[in-house]
Formats: sequence, structure tokens, C-alpha cells
Amino acid sequence: MSDTAARSPVSAPQMIADALLRSVAGSSAQLRVTGASSDSSQSELGLIATTFSEVVISPVVMRKLRPAAKPGDASQWEMLVSATSVQAQVNALDLQSAQALFSMTLAVTMAGADYLIESVASNEAFGKVYLYRLTLRETFQQTL
Amino acid sequence: MQNAKDSFYLALRSRLAVINPQRTVLVRGALRPGILLEDAEAPVAQPPADVFVMHWGALGAETELPSAMVAMECEISYCTSGTQAFGGLDRGRSLTAMDRELIAILRPPSTPKVNYSVQPAAPMQTQVFWDEPTFPSITVQRDRVSRSARVMVYSYQEQGE
Repeated sequence: MSDTAARSPVSAPQMIADALLRSVAGSSAQLRVTGASSDSSQSELGLIATTFSEVVISPVVMRKLRPAAKPGDASQWEMLVSATSVQAQVNALDLQSAQALFSMTLAVTMAGADYLIESVASNEAFGKVYLYRLTLRETFQQTL
Repeated sequence: MQNAKDSFYLALRSRLAVINPQRTVLVRGALRPGILLEDAEAPVAQPPADVFVMHWGALGAETELPSAMVAMECEISYCTSGTQAFGGLDRGRSLTAMDRELIAILRPPSTPKVNYSVQPAAPMQTQVFWDEPTFPSITVQRDRVSRSARVMVYSYQEQGE
């Protein structure tokens, strides 16, 4: 939900969000981003190895949303991500938007564990995003 | 077997691009026809909407014939929540459109077998052919309706396969 207050956009909310994330032991996470495919038949058939790059975003904070109910179930997590960090990577990778960055992300790695992105939401103030909230699910290997 | 699977997927992909060029999907930064091979893409938490997702299932082989014939079951799943312009109220129509497209891309029920693991792709001597698809009833999950059609795909094993 965006704030429609008639005030000039400032970066104060982003700075406050970053400060809050750091103050609660904000850490860093890695996004495993695929390189743009050549869109050939071979890449669609899995014949050409996809290139990956690791994109570091910081500060981030993780919290568990739903524990696994039974063995084999995947726990759900929420990752709060600094919007300034995401924007820096969007600019560095020359992407259109943060959504493009997240759609190219195969997995999120934090503390050596891999997670899949289930959904992306954002918080805005003065029309500018100051925080991204990623709903993550543990990858299958970790749920066994 | 792999050549038959590759040929089947690429035949459907090419036909879909002709039948409905608007049905596309953005994968790894590339805009492609809206059909994916599940086992050649990254794992996802939820299948993408308005896209055909192919998944290979059961396998059988007839070795008593002069040339061994392999039968593979292909499940083609698709789901939709309708369009934003209609507030999702057209999801039934969207699913019907996908049913129609799937029937259309499965005709004619054969395609030449091609070896795509070499560059350039090498045509083989036999064809890949398939049965009529079966369409089980739809599954409704909140605002999303989905269906998984099944089709049996056959091919003869050629020398060197």
C-alpha cells in the first residue's frame, strides 16, 4: 500500500529501515541470479548449462513464519530486505525493476542454507519502497 | 527416448508460437512461447499461471518389435486466475482458451524426430507420434483454476539411441 501524502519524496524512510534492520542484527544474503539465457532451443531443453552470479544484499533479517508440520514439509520464512541494497543491485545489473531481479533469482542463500522465493511484497512511504518482504520456503534438500 | 522428448516439446513450442503468439513467458530474462519443460527449469514454489508446463511421467517399452518402441506419458499442466481487467471473473474462459490451444498444438499427432544434442540439430529417420489427450476435471484452488492433461507419446528407438 503506497502512501499518497502530498509531500516530497525523501530517503529518510529507507535510511530508517536500513538502520532498524542493522540494529536487529541485520545480516547479508546472497541471491543466485541466472544470467540472461541465449533463448536457444538447447537452453530450453537443459542442454546448455545456465550461468549464475551471486548477488549480495544487505542488511536483511529472517524470521520463521510457519514451522514444518510434519517431516518432509517445508518451513516458511520471511526475509526483510533493505530497499536501498536491492536498488543498488538493480542498477548494477542494469535491470528494469526489483521485480525483474527477484524473477531472475533461482535461490536465496543465507547462512549456508538455500531458500526459494514464494512471493515478494514491498512497503512504501512517500511513494518510495523502503523495504521488501520476501516469503521464502526451504529447498527440498533441507526439509529431509 | 531423450530425442523423442526433445522433439515433442519443441514441436509443441513451435506450434504454440504460431497459434497464439501472445502466450509468452519470461524465463531467465528471455521472452519465450508460453510452454515450459519442468525438468529443464529452475524449481519454483508455484507453477506460473497462463503457461503450459510439461512433465514426463510413466514409461513403457515394447522390445518384441523389430525396432523397440518406447511409450512415455506426458502431463501438461496449466492454470489461470483470469485477467486483471475482468477481476479474475473470466478465469473459466481463460482455461477454456488454454484447453483449445492445447488441442490445437497437439494436431497433427506426430512430428519428425530430431537429435538436438548435436549442433546443428540432426533430423532422424522416424517420427514421434502420440494419442489423443485426456482432460481430467479441473482443480480449483481459491482464485486459480488448473487442469493437467495427459498424452501418451510414442517413438521407435533408432540405432545409437
